[in-house]
Amino acid sequence: MQDVRSAVIAVAGMGSRLGLGLPKCMIEIQGKTILSRIVNTLRSKVEIINIVVGYREEMVIEYCSQHHRDVGIVRNPNYKTTNTAYSMALGSRHLSDKVIYLDGDLIISPTSVEKFIQSASKHNVLVGLTDAKSENAVFAHGYQDNKDIINLTKFSRTEGSSYEWANIVSGPANLMENAERYVFEHLEGLLPLPGAVLEVAEIDTPEDLISAKAFVSERLV
Amino acid sequence: MKTAYCFDLDGTLTKTEVLPCIASELGISDEMATLTQVTMDGHIDFEASFKLRCLILSRVPIEVVQKIILDIPLDKSILKFIQSRRDSSFLVTGNLDVWVKPIAELCGCRLYSSEATQMSESLKIEKILRKDTAIAGIRALGFGRVVAVGDGANDIAMFNASDISIAYGGVHSPAPGTIAACNYVFHDGEVLCKMLEAL
Repeated sequence: MQDVRSAVIAVAGMGSRLGLGLPKCMIEIQGKTILSRIVNTLRSKVEIINIVVGYREEMVIEYCSQHHRDVGIVRNPNYKTTNTAYSMALGSRHLSDKVIYLDGDLIISPTSVEKFIQSASKHNVLVGLTDAKSENAVFAHGYQDNKDIINLTKFSRTEGSSYEWANIVSGPANLMENAERYVFEHLEGLLPLPGAVLEVAEIDTPEDLISAKAFVSERLV
Repeated sequence: MKTAYCFDLDGTLTKTEVLPCIASELGISDEMATLTQVTMDGHIDFEASFKLRCLILSRVPIEVVQKIILDIPLDKSILKFIQSRRDSSFLVTGNLDVWVKPIAELCGCRLYSSEATQMSESLKIEKILRKDTAIAGIRALGFGRVVAVGDGANDIAMFNASDISIAYGGVHSPAPGTIAACNYVFHDGEVLCKMLEAL
């Protein structure tokens, strides 16, 4: 199987549920933006990092020009009418190796992402899961295949589970090609898939932001 | 499908704008830099500004200009990329052929530029390059896909005529209009070339 060599981080969305007027990746938690946290976590683990920008792109581009000159920036000018899967497809369009796709509103434990990337090399597609805790969870159902892998059989917004979709997935560079719906809905068409658990805090709502700050204080300091 | 890689010169391959360097011979590099900056940002018409800047700089002998230009540091990653793909790389610049020819020779690639003739004590500008026309000419050579890399407002026409457009901020941030017209933005030559190699 192939190693993960590239990362695509989608930060094009408006983050309207949080309502801060800036891309969620630009939120600072304990003096560091979410974007810097993700890039710094991935930097030593992949060769190429592409960031897909849209909403307030000038702010993110300027930030990268100062803090992350070694990333590639991919523009999604249609961010208002397209979704994350479309951004991820844009971000991986000219890549050829295996890619880790991430939403840009995540705080991820570096050790768990390292373990995920190692495990991803053994699977064509590996779905990231996390303990169910966010306000608008997409629950993930399946059964334990071995101590590290869950055999994922179903996603549900209503039927509760111990795990939720973590908005992280690894797979080939064309994984998101022609994906028109949410990423997890696109993945539903490929089920069953192996899943691996990461320590992640996603930030969609003001309540999530409070939880993410606690997550940083408790797990990452 | 054959891919052509088209690079702007000033501020993309060169690590500084060329005309202010020439202007230093006349002691007016600050003034020239200001005029160049407002032009690159798209605040004044490129063609009119370029003619004016050439008229001012035509007092500097061509041999002196060429020597100055060869001393300007180049982006090593881009230079290496061009030198490794001489047949499919192109310099596409509004700058004058009589001035920048030595850089094209160093790169070993073809040059699409504005053209001038040396007169006794001045330069006669024969043609100001339209970058979209240059891209059409490159396509006519049999390239099915064109990738363009640039940083200034005068690169927008090149971007619009290309299949993949890249704003490059290796020296300074690309002009806002240039970013709005591109598909990708890069700030590091090595990362840019890694992407170009992957295309």
